[in-house]
Amino acid sequence: MSGFTDPNVLSERVKAIPGGDMLMLCYSCGTCTSKCMIQTKLESSYNPRRLIREAVFNMDDDAFADKTTWLCTACDLCYPACPQKIHISGVINAVKALAVESGKKNPYQVARVDESTCVACGLCVKICPYEAISLVEKRVPFRGTLTVASVDAGKCMACGMCTAACRSTSIRLAEDYNDAELIDTLLSWLGTERVFS
Amino acid sequence: MVDAARQPLIEVKTFTEVEKVEGYVGNFVVTLREKAKYVRADRCNGCGACTKACPVEIPNYFEMNLAPRKAAYIPMSQAVPLIYNIDMDACIHCYKCVEACGALEAIDFSMEDKLVEQEIGAIIVATGFGHFDPSPMTEYGFGRFPNVITAMEMERLNNSAGPTHGALIRPSDGKEPEHIAIINCVGSRDKRYNTSCSNFCCMYAIKNALLLKQMHPNTEISIYYIDIRTPSKGYEEFYDRARESGIRFIQGRPSEITEDPDTHQLFISSEDITLGKVIEREYDMVMLNQAAIPQPDQNHMSSVLNVAQSPGGWFMEYHPKLRPMDSPTDGIFFAGACQGPKDIPASVAQGSAAASRASRILHSDSWQIEPTVAVVWPDRCVSAKGQACGICARACPYGAIDYTKGLAAEVITAKCHGCGACVGECPHDSITQLHYTDAQVLAQIRTLLAIEPEKKILAFRCQWCSYGGADLAGTSHFEYSANERGLRVMCSARMDADLIYEAYRLGAGAILYSGCHPQDCHYITGQIAGAKRAARLEKMFERLQMSPGRFRVEWISAAEGDKYARVINEMQAALDAIPEDVLKAEIERLKPEMAKKLTKLGDVPGVAQAMVQVDFIVDEMLGKAVPA
Repeated sequence: MSGFTDPNVLSERVKAIPGGDMLMLCYSCGTCTSKCMIQTKLESSYNPRRLIREAVFNMDDDAFADKTTWLCTACDLCYPACPQKIHISGVINAVKALAVESGKKNPYQVARVDESTCVACGLCVKICPYEAISLVEKRVPFRGTLTVASVDAGKCMACGMCTAACRSTSIRLAEDYNDAELIDTLLSWLGTERVFS
Repeated sequence: MVDAARQPLIEVKTFTEVEKVEGYVGNFVVTLREKAKYVRADRCNGCGACTKACPVEIPNYFEMNLAPRKAAYIPMSQAVPLIYNIDMDACIHCYKCVEACGALEAIDFSMEDKLVEQEIGAIIVATGFGHFDPSPMTEYGFGRFPNVITAMEMERLNNSAGPTHGALIRPSDGKEPEHIAIINCVGSRDKRYNTSCSNFCCMYAIKNALLLKQMHPNTEISIYYIDIRTPSKGYEEFYDRARESGIRFIQGRPSEITEDPDTHQLFISSEDITLGKVIEREYDMVMLNQAAIPQPDQNHMSSVLNVAQSPGGWFMEYHPKLRPMDSPTDGIFFAGACQGPKDIPASVAQGSAAASRASRILHSDSWQIEPTVAVVWPDRCVSAKGQACGICARACPYGAIDYTKGLAAEVITAKCHGCGACVGECPHDSITQLHYTDAQVLAQIRTLLAIEPEKKILAFRCQWCSYGGADLAGTSHFEYSANERGLRVMCSARMDADLIYEAYRLGAGAILYSGCHPQDCHYITGQIAGAKRAARLEKMFERLQMSPGRFRVEWISAAEGDKYARVINEMQAALDAIPEDVLKAEIERLKPEMAKKLTKLGDVPGVAQAMVQVDFIVDEMLGKAVPA
């Protein structure tokens, strides 16, 4: 059978990436979708089962534009629930890697480095669970050429671990999740008021 | 069962276990353990006075523990024979039953298990299937949520002879459920538990749903499924009827059941595949349609009967398409789900087929088997000389060899299927196989390699698969090298290392070692023995620095004629790639190495004599002068 399959189609390329190799085993039972926290709590059009179908049918454009490709946090809640033992976040990651390879940008927010204050201590590099941050040497306005942290938008899953770890508040998610807003939300849950400014 | 028990020629032995099966087709000796009932069959009249008197109450296994039973009991109202039984694990020895029995004096606490030997002509195994316990699937909450029940529990709840007399109630509060969900494929088609499809559960779910709907028209029933499989005659129409009667079918495997701890209402979360949306629905009661799995003691039965198991644990049939009711051991047959999950019509068909197969044996005075059986030369067997060996007995896939230290190994001819695994494995050449004796096979090898042996590809093929593959290559006119010389044995297990050494000693250019794919082997595990030996040989030839491609191992089925032709052509190409002088030098270098391994072969009865005759024939064939 393999002789008849074009290795350049999406399904074959996904299968060639470690983690994406079990793609074809999916029988579309939908357990992953109903197990998914993103789908049930955040985004009702998020659907890992549909993304797998899109990959199986070589629908590159649909798969790369699918919210599922970009929003998965690889929490792996679906993995132990899958009756076919497919590592679904592995498949999604493979599709995402191919999307980035083909020049697609993550449409959702990713962590951003404030290069004017970054001291390249490397804490964020160590803590990132997705290995999305690296230290690079580059020209920074008003600071000259120096080493700063850099985020790979294809790998970042916007978990915010780097923001929490950074000592100089130089890396953060976009404004929706800045420290002040988080603290205010927390306080409103606790029913108290801010005592410091 | 009642009908069967009334038949004068059928003896029903209940509460009896098979301890040991010895012998062979037509002459089995079966040891049965007749368990003590503590009630004498010749006196009990089934009045039930003991049950009424018994003060002990324990969960009733037959009612899925939904109702109690006494320690003096019958397992079910249709029990055959209708003789009461005392459960000694639960009995408190108050002897109230003895009093109640009175003058009948049927209760006898001194009874013990009895071991009985019986002569049996043929055995039909109909041990059925077991049920998957869904409690490890924590996402469905079975065992934690009282209103999540199994299919068998539903069966008892909805049965007029059951613990509720057919009143459908939910376990948490005894109320009648209005919304019921049935979840299919619980533990089946699931690589974490049982990979296979349980065959009949789709129809079973539909049957249960329709039955519930008939009895309780106001209940709303939903069936969650991955795929609905209705493959037999009339089944799809039955599915139609279920949809017409208002049963909801939801495509999507539920990922989780949650419960409201106060009301014990259940919430099923699943994706509706057709909508592409996640839905959460509320139910009063959920039935889990569990996987059918092999009986918990199937492994034990398999070793008692000496019949193999397929992957998954079911008993393995002789051939999946042509002989599904036969076990690989002559005289043992399968009926029903012990061989693989199947529904009632298929079980009845297989049962009738097994019965007719068995009656063929019972009505014959003699029984024909394959003529290629193994025979031991007692004078050559090292076990007779006191050495510990038993290699042949371990190699036999059928348990057809009796090995006792100090005695020569003995082949039970009626059990032998003629694969030759014992012959191939015996390191002392003490066993031979009729029609494939060492002398006969060696004579063929010599003849095939008589002329220009270094140019020849000697192909060892097994009778059932690779020989068929070569045959198909021929009838399909696939071209392959004319230097191939084919040689048939029954199984790759018979391809004795000695035969390979001898072929190289005679100067063979290349050797193909071919047989069935492991799952296709006609001799249960013959191919596995053959493959192990082939791997050993490959390693050895590598150590001896034999050129690559001169020894090749391939598993080729009877349908793979193209593969056979391709393999031979590749081997020819590999042989052509070795320069002639290098090849000849290598053959000469390895000849003494091979001869070293063949010291015993000349002593094998018949071999020396056969070689003289072969030399005579070969000489004549080559037009050489015939010695006077």
